[in-house]
Amino acid sequence: MAEPNQGNLGNTFIAGLWRENPVFRLLLGMCPTLAVTGAVKPALTMSICVMFVLTCSNIVVSLMRNLLKPHLRILMFTLTIATFVTIADLAVKAFAPEMSTTLGPYIPLIIVNCIIIGRAEACASKNNLITSITDALGMSLGFTIALCILASVRELLAAGTIFDIAVMPDKFVPLAAMSMPVGAFITLGLILGLINAITKKRA
Amino acid sequence: MDYVQTLIMAFISVVLVNNLVLTKFLGICPYLGVSGRLDMAFGMGMAVTFVVTLAGTLTWLIDHLILMNPALEAYGLDVTRYVCFILVIAGAVQLVEMYLRKFFPTLYESFGIFLPLITTNCAILGLCLFLNLWDIHNFAQAVVLSFGAGIGFTIAICIMAGIRENLNMADVPKCLRGAPITLITAGLLTLAFMGFAGMIK
Amino acid sequence: MRSVKHFIEQSWLLIAAAFCFGLLLAMTNAALKDKIEQNQIDALNNMMRGLMSEATNFEKVIDQAEIAGYKTDIYKASDNGGQIIGFAFVGTGAGFADKIKLIIAVDGTCDKFLGFDVLSSNETPLFGDRIKEDWFRAQFVGAPAGALELIKSGDTKKIDNKIVAITGATVSSQATVKIFNDHIEELKSILKEKGLID
Repeated sequence: MAEPNQGNLGNTFIAGLWRENPVFRLLLGMCPTLAVTGAVKPALTMSICVMFVLTCSNIVVSLMRNLLKPHLRILMFTLTIATFVTIADLAVKAFAPEMSTTLGPYIPLIIVNCIIIGRAEACASKNNLITSITDALGMSLGFTIALCILASVRELLAAGTIFDIAVMPDKFVPLAAMSMPVGAFITLGLILGLINAITKKRA
Repeated sequence: MDYVQTLIMAFISVVLVNNLVLTKFLGICPYLGVSGRLDMAFGMGMAVTFVVTLAGTLTWLIDHLILMNPALEAYGLDVTRYVCFILVIAGAVQLVEMYLRKFFPTLYESFGIFLPLITTNCAILGLCLFLNLWDIHNFAQAVVLSFGAGIGFTIAICIMAGIRENLNMADVPKCLRGAPITLITAGLLTLAFMGFAGMIK
Repeated sequence: MRSVKHFIEQSWLLIAAAFCFGLLLAMTNAALKDKIEQNQIDALNNMMRGLMSEATNFEKVIDQAEIAGYKTDIYKASDNGGQIIGFAFVGTGAGFADKIKLIIAVDGTCDKFLGFDVLSSNETPLFGDRIKEDWFRAQFVGAPAGALELIKSGDTKKIDNKIVAITGATVSSQATVKIFNDHIEELKSILKEKGLID
């Protein structure tokens, strides 16, 4: 029982990173992906919040999966998620106040992030505690990676810095458009195109 | 007269200048996921407009009458703001669903799967949060902004659906087909909507 | 009776969960509330200190005054000897795309501005965002506390009531000047009313 289970756990974990990467593959959670990736720091803060909320909500949903009534299910999920998001929001306000101003309404908007409610529905409400936690960690790590890639590209081109450290030569002219909405959409579009091109070649 | 003017300005501002989809990235999921059918997009937009007007008005009332009530301030009720908001939205969606099923079955059929999905539409919760963030102290203005946000969403999603209808016939590079080209199109659209910025002073 | 039982059967989990979550939230809030409030005060104090470097004490003198249609607290800044350095308040106005909130400082007699800092703005990065730039902000330091005028070009170093606009961010520059102009007279009369200035 123990051995195949472990293999499955590994698979569940890896799936979130690439094969079922929430952002690049499933196109979930687009709203924070596009909105907070103007720079790496807010993107990372956002990822940590999502990781916390996803893990906690998966734990709670998994624990009460046998008690759920079908028509009250979504209400239960949103209630759980909203609670943990509020906790995350308070924590960010307390320990990283300047990030709280930058991220603004996008932290509470984690509540309606499709990744979290999607995982609660697709995974945690059907699987045991350990699988649910592994799934949450894998998914949120995949989300983190995606956000960081996107944010690095945008911050590099918009300000010539990564993590507020200047990396581009002095002569570099920042591309203002990259930090605006248009930069978010086009960068993500091109990254998705690149991923498509890579996977097509391999197949 | 001034009052009416403020309301009209608020409406135009939230429809065009601060369009939730194109400048605040709210409601992106249905926006990108919308099929290339204009009538479906319009239906979705109308459903969202209805729910967002209802939810925006209700959450504004809750926010101002209960959560920010000076008499109750000492209890720190505003910590439950997000929980309240999402419950109101989920409740409003359920109500709309039941009402439509009972009284307008044909309309209900045509909305189909869209209705329950509206709960997780970021545009709605986003608008409720923005009403709080923008310090809207005026009931009429809150209602107008909520309604305008819905109309803004409808406009954005209909434009997108129209473009996608035509995109089917375009010769797009293989690796960019599907989501990537949709995102790039959306990027160009936001660029176009940036032209409205500064229209309202 | 049956319906009550049915109701409880269906929703006991929801009610129990709501109760537990409420408790959880209350605990988190109790634990973090002081720190959050302290953070907000620190942020405001830091900004005020940036505008009035000699001041050491900041004291809220008027709670929620209404100026130009927006509510703001008014703070009095003084140095160690109790000498009044100036007053600070939050000025709000419509910017290019969204509301701009500025923290504005005037001197103790309300004759001169001591400058401003941007509390929150959602302005387009690298365009409207540029009102945060030092050379633009420096034009307000020492400017006479009366009506300010925005000009397209001129000497940015000369301190008077003429403010040179930022090229490419005219609307945001206008908004900034307008916030100053909208607030200053009302501020003066409020401070006079309270006997804080002559």
